[in-house]
Amino acid sequence: MLELRGVTVPGRQRPRIRAVSLQLQPGERVALLGRSGAGKSTLLAVANGLITPAEGRVYWFGAPASQQPLQRRRQQARIGTLWQDLRLVDELSVQQNLNAGCLARWSWRQVLLNLFSAQESEACCRALARVELEASLLVQPLGRLSGGQRQRVAIARLLRQNAELLLADEPLAQLDPPLARRLLQLVLDLGQPPRALLLSLHRPDLLEGFDRVIGLRQGELVFDQSPSALSPEDLHHLYSSSGLS
Amino acid sequence: MTPAGQMLIPALVLLPLLWLLPGAVHGGGLALLLQFWVAALQPSLEPHLLLTALRGIGVTLAIALWSWLLSLLLGFGGGLLSSVAVSQRLWCCSWPALLARRLLALPRSLHELLWGLILLQLMGLQPGVAVLAIALPYGALVARVMADQLDALPVRPIEALSTAGAPAWAALFTAFLPPLWPQVLSYGGYRLECALRSATLLGVFGLGGIGADLRLSLQSLQFHEVWTSLWCLAAVMLLLEWSVRWLQRRWHQPLGCVGQRGLELLLLAVVLGLLLIPSAQLMELRWQELFSSWHWPESLPLWDVAGWMQPWLPLIGTTLLLTLLSALLALAITPWVLLLLCPWNGCRPLLQLLGLLARLLPPPLTALLLLFVLKPGLLPAVLALGLHNAGILGRLLLEGLDAQDQRASEALQLAGAGPRRSLLVAGFNTVARSYLSFGAYRADVILRESVVVGLVGAGGLGVLLLESLSSFAWIEVVPVLVVYAALTLIGEAAADAYRSRLLSGPLPLEGLNPAVGS
Repeated sequence: MLELRGVTVPGRQRPRIRAVSLQLQPGERVALLGRSGAGKSTLLAVANGLITPAEGRVYWFGAPASQQPLQRRRQQARIGTLWQDLRLVDELSVQQNLNAGCLARWSWRQVLLNLFSAQESEACCRALARVELEASLLVQPLGRLSGGQRQRVAIARLLRQNAELLLADEPLAQLDPPLARRLLQLVLDLGQPPRALLLSLHRPDLLEGFDRVIGLRQGELVFDQSPSALSPEDLHHLYSSSGLS
Repeated sequence: MTPAGQMLIPALVLLPLLWLLPGAVHGGGLALLLQFWVAALQPSLEPHLLLTALRGIGVTLAIALWSWLLSLLLGFGGGLLSSVAVSQRLWCCSWPALLARRLLALPRSLHELLWGLILLQLMGLQPGVAVLAIALPYGALVARVMADQLDALPVRPIEALSTAGAPAWAALFTAFLPPLWPQVLSYGGYRLECALRSATLLGVFGLGGIGADLRLSLQSLQFHEVWTSLWCLAAVMLLLEWSVRWLQRRWHQPLGCVGQRGLELLLLAVVLGLLLIPSAQLMELRWQELFSSWHWPESLPLWDVAGWMQPWLPLIGTTLLLTLLSALLALAITPWVLLLLCPWNGCRPLLQLLGLLARLLPPPLTALLLLFVLKPGLLPAVLALGLHNAGILGRLLLEGLDAQDQRASEALQLAGAGPRRSLLVAGFNTVARSYLSFGAYRADVILRESVVVGLVGAGGLGVLLLESLSSFAWIEVVPVLVVYAALTLIGEAAADAYRSRLLSGPLPLEGLNPAVGS
């Protein structure tokens, strides 16, 4: 579903990621571990096409990431991202935000109608139910929701997008432990086959349910293995400050 | 210096004005001036006069409505074209937006009266001239404000939609329009109020509507008739201001269900659309004739060196002096009157009434009234521009003081501070930055408005331009136009720099927070 080959993104003092290669197969749920500044967000931004790498190649669904705008958009429509800052539109209602996940396949008419009236309410209700939110929230302005509810709305938007490859950039940061575990379970359920999931974490105690774990340190991939094979030494090497600039 | 101190300092402008006053007073028309004010209580209620006033108001409203809608359309398109954020999304580069910004600076730099006179020469006297004269500079101004607001919006939501495969236009509509709407609607409402004032002003210079009636009645000393028109205009202006404020407040609140704001907006658009046809008929607007009668002057000696040989320094100096004195006067009046009279319960209503009268009378008519007691020159022009803009600034100051948190002021009063001291310390310090910021914007507007008080002998670039256009002196028109436009653009940049330094962030739109208008 996703393949990065020797991807490098330059930074000011050192590359943000350097010569990273990885593959993600359908049904795989992969955790990305590393300290702050290790390059996790950059790697995910390369994976969803926000950043074009200076070196290396990106493959989506077995084909090179297209440079032709229409073709590229078609590829990106199959990739859903759960952003750390959610990136929802505060001024829209919950339903309008959910429907924003459908923009890639909607016509002009539907895009404009979504700004004026309720569109595809049943599908929106189903998406909300999947993330354990009540349908009555659909008409609420997003600004009235709590932090946890907003996280769930962002996940429900991925459901509306019907993305096959799911990328999540530290979705559990700033959440209390019980809520973090519940939301992680939701995202893991969402990443069931035939979908695939690549999720960045900064807490190694939440690796249960992942098929693989990838470690990033100073922009370089230091391990790619099963979570059960992860040793305390691996984690110490990943999180120790020695050698960091 | 505290912000409140900065609000009070502009009153120093009274020193040079008082110094000029003895030499400028002639007092010959004091009785006439008294008659004018007494007539305010006895407006003529003769049916034919009332009908004439209503028809004049109707034409002015029609001009304002058409020019406002046209300016919003031009501004919306121009705003999208000149927004760097939009340009980068649509075309992956920013130079088209930067080019559009440069091009839109020219229509913005000329006052609507100058546009009116230029178009009058090119198209002849017809109602569409006033509509276009307002729509062109307003459209360019709306475009600039909209582009600034678009560029200040967070780009992350749009990035999220784009990386999910959404087409650029769909992502722009979904992520940019909703946060932009309340600001555009709020600002748009404010522009309608401005359009009504501009349409009245253009009427004073013969471009139709209530302004023409006002000038004729005033020049023939028929003060009772003047007040019939003025009270009708006041009623319309108050109704419009109240409606705009009501809609702004309503649309700033989160509404109950999906798309409610959109549906209300659609309904308003339909109502306005239905009003367009009768209003076009009322002012006898015929678009097909508007451009068919277009003609260029037979000879345009645009680059004749003689036209460039003007006394530029005195011209620019007079324009800047007129602007500076008027802006300082406009800034100084309301805070000081409020401070002096605030213990008295009738202070607010009195200020509101005086502010309404100041906004109501177009500056050239105030200047004409002042000629009853003052000799022609700089002073009546400064007073006319200063009083008119004090009316606009005063209303925003009172609204800002009403909207602020009253607890600090209450705490001071409970601790024994009198109303004046608590207003000075708690009230003025809170609103001062917004007030001064809007004052800087008004100074920029006054620089453009300096053309409209030329008839009382104020002098300056705008007046020379006005005279050149009126007397078909094309040899002078282009050089003066270039220098005048350059000066107003420099003034705009200076006002913007001062405002953004005061507010340290993107410039707000209207009201006391809102700081843009005409």
